Amino acid sequence: MPRIFIFVGLILLLCLLLPPAIIARVRSTPNSNLPIHIIQDMAFQSKYKTQAVNPMFADGNTMRPPVTNAVARGETYLDAHLYDGVIDGQWANVLPSQIKMDFATLRRGQERFNIYCSVCHGISGGGNGIVNQRAMELVANTNGPVNGTVWVQAKNLVHDELVTVQPMGQVFNTITYGIRNMAGYGSQVPTEDRWAIAAYVKALQRSQIAQPSDVPAGTKVADHISPSPATTAVHNVASKGATIPASNSLTNPATSMLEGKL
Amino acid sequence: MSRFLFPRWSNAFLPLVILLGAIAPLYVGLFVAYGFSPKTLEAGYMPTQPVPYSHAVHAGKLGMDCRYCHTSVEKASFAAVPATQTCMNCHTQIHRESPKLEKVRSSYETGMPIEWVKVHKLADYAYFNHSAHVVRGVGCVECHGRIDQMTVVYRVAPLSMGWCLECHRNPTDRIRPPSMVTQMAWDQNKEMTQAQRVELQNLNNIHPNDNCSTCHR
Ligand code: HEC
Ligand code: HEC
Ligand code: HEC
Ligand code: HEC
Ligand code: HEC
Ligand code: HEC
Repeated sequence: MPRIFIFVGLILLLCLLLPPAIIARVRSTPNSNLPIHIIQDMAFQSKYKTQAVNPMFADGNTMRPPVTNAVARGETYLDAHLYDGVIDGQWANVLPSQIKMDFATLRRGQERFNIYCSVCHGISGGGNGIVNQRAMELVANTNGPVNGTVWVQAKNLVHDELVTVQPMGQVFNTITYGIRNMAGYGSQVPTEDRWAIAAYVKALQRSQIAQPSDVPAGTKVADHISPSPATTAVHNVASKGATIPASNSLTNPATSMLEGKL
Repeated sequence: MSRFLFPRWSNAFLPLVILLGAIAPLYVGLFVAYGFSPKTLEAGYMPTQPVPYSHAVHAGKLGMDCRYCHTSVEKASFAAVPATQTCMNCHTQIHRESPKLEKVRSSYETGMPIEWVKVHKLADYAYFNHSAHVVRGVGCVECHGRIDQMTVVYRVAPLSMGWCLECHRNPTDRIRPPSMVTQMAWDQNKEMTQAQRVELQNLNNIHPNDNCSTCHR
């Protein structure tokens, strides 16, 4: 048999290995040419969905902001206590009537604090969250601040006396509108959650000056909750030192101790 | 005209041809099954984004919670990509003059949104809802993979109907306590026993639908 047939045959066989190799590669590495949607049907319809680009508007955005001076129902913002934390020109020291002070509110506040505030102020409010640490490093860089970074140390919310004396309404106002170098969170966090955070900040502050006598006689702090197996599992992880914020430890001393105490 | 005769040595091809004929359907079958599967054609999509924003830095190294930026994920069907204002909470100060943040700053000044490229795109005839999953304890990691380790986001899941149904028919091993949904490193299959997972499912009464009208409405 002529050699050439054997060569050609072998080369053809090798070519058969090519498609599997390509498939294996596409499946194993992220790729910017995908996705390929073979059967289109009505998979991608010519309609504008949430956050889509829209050439019809000057800002290119499908989602429209409300018309200037339009007021949506329930958004009159006339209630100075609820929206600004102010009663008769003074900082409010109680929650507005729309929000109940209970364990659920504090829990919610704890969870939201850990999401929005702990990055800078730290889980315990001490002012040394990871972003704060990193920003201080960037400023302290030996060749001058990296990319012009400037940073003011995030406030220690639980020990700085200028902060601990602030009424709840003032904390709420700071969260809503921001203060000096801190941005406001009014657009990211709904009103109820901002009050819950403010209440939790007060709870955190209170927990720093708690005495054994604050605990009702005969109760152990952990008695408040009987954990289900799932939460026990969560605790096991937390105690192993994994990176789990305290929102998940149901027996966080601050909230347990202060249940019903504010 | 003389007849063409195959030379004698060509007989050696006969078994080869039969063998190839037998293997060919298998080959083509596997080629179609693997090559045309959504896992090949749709998963792994990694578009280039206008700003070199990294989840590995923000969600991984800095430990930011997903909800700091994707604020609507627990309340709405849509997990919004954050507004420029959210970035500027920090970047008015941190890396204030970084060339990588040029587009973020100009977006902030002009009010024109940053045109992030959408990575996950479900077919328009299918209905999906984030809050229905996140509130019930399906972690982001189940569907989006280890976002906290990705420098550039890519699509881990095929987002095919089979993929949705696989979980809807057997969710026990893929749900976690709702407080853990954004903990990317946490794995319920390591941290909880089978019995605990079943108990969690019963406790929260989790029974995803597989009626057509759940997702095609
Ligand atoms: C991006 C980092 C960052 C985040 C996130 C952040 N803060 Fe701040 N915060 C700061 C900095 C920086 C200051 C100090 C501002 C200054 O003195 O110029 C501050 C100050 C404060 C103060 C003291 C205000 C005063 O009167 O001195 C309070 C109270 C406060 N933050 C609460 C919060 C709460 C509650 C949250 C969560 C909703 C939060 N912060 C999130 C950075 C942050
Ligand atoms: C600092 C803000 C920020 C945080 C924190 C954050 N993200 Fe994102 N995320 C973004 C931005 C901006 C985009 C759009 C650009 C991109 O795709 O990289 C995005 C895109 C995504 C996408 C792809 C969206 C699409 O186009 O389909 C997913 C999925 C996602 N994020 C999941 C997560 C998860 C899970 C976490 C928590 C571990 C998280 N993100 C934390 C800002 C953030
Ligand atoms: C809570 C604060 C915070 C928020 C919010 C935030 N970042 Fe960052 N970002 C940082 C920090 C801190 C660094 C520096 C990380 C490092 O150098 O290790 C950084 C770094 C970056 C860098 C790299 C800059 C460089 O020159 O190396 C980019 C790009 C970036 N962020 C984009 C974004 C975008 C886009 C958003 C909005 C979706 C955003 N960031 C929101 C804190 C934040
Ligand atoms: C059950 C699976 C599932 C879970 C759990 C899930 N996602 Fe998604 N995600 C999707 C799908 C499917 C899409 C595409 C939706 C579309 O195109 O309409 C998506 C899209 C997104 C987007 C792009 C914007 C959008 O809504 O289209 C972001 C951002 C995102 N997810 C973030 C998150 C975060 C953060 C979490 C966890 C809190 C999360 N997802 C949990 C399946 C999931
Ligand atoms: C990792 C598991 C998982 C995946 C993957 C998943 N789901 Fe779900 N889905 C659930 C769970 C759990 C629920 C909540 C069931 C309950 O509340 O009892 C749910 C609920 C839903 C609901 C709400 C049902 C209702 O009764 O309102 C819709 C719609 C839905 N899923 C669509 C989808 C679509 C579309 C996909 C694929 C893109 C998908 N899901 C992928 C686990 C999953
Ligand atoms: C858990 C959610 C879910 C349920 C339940 C569901 N589907 Fe789907 N279906 C999807 C998704 C997501 C797609 C889009 C797949 C894609 O883009 O590849 C889809 C696609 C389809 C398609 C189009 C396939 C194509 O490629 O053109 C048909 C037809 C369909 N579904 C029929 C059904 C029928 C019939 C049922 C009931 C037996 C059903 N679906 C139940 C999520 C679901």
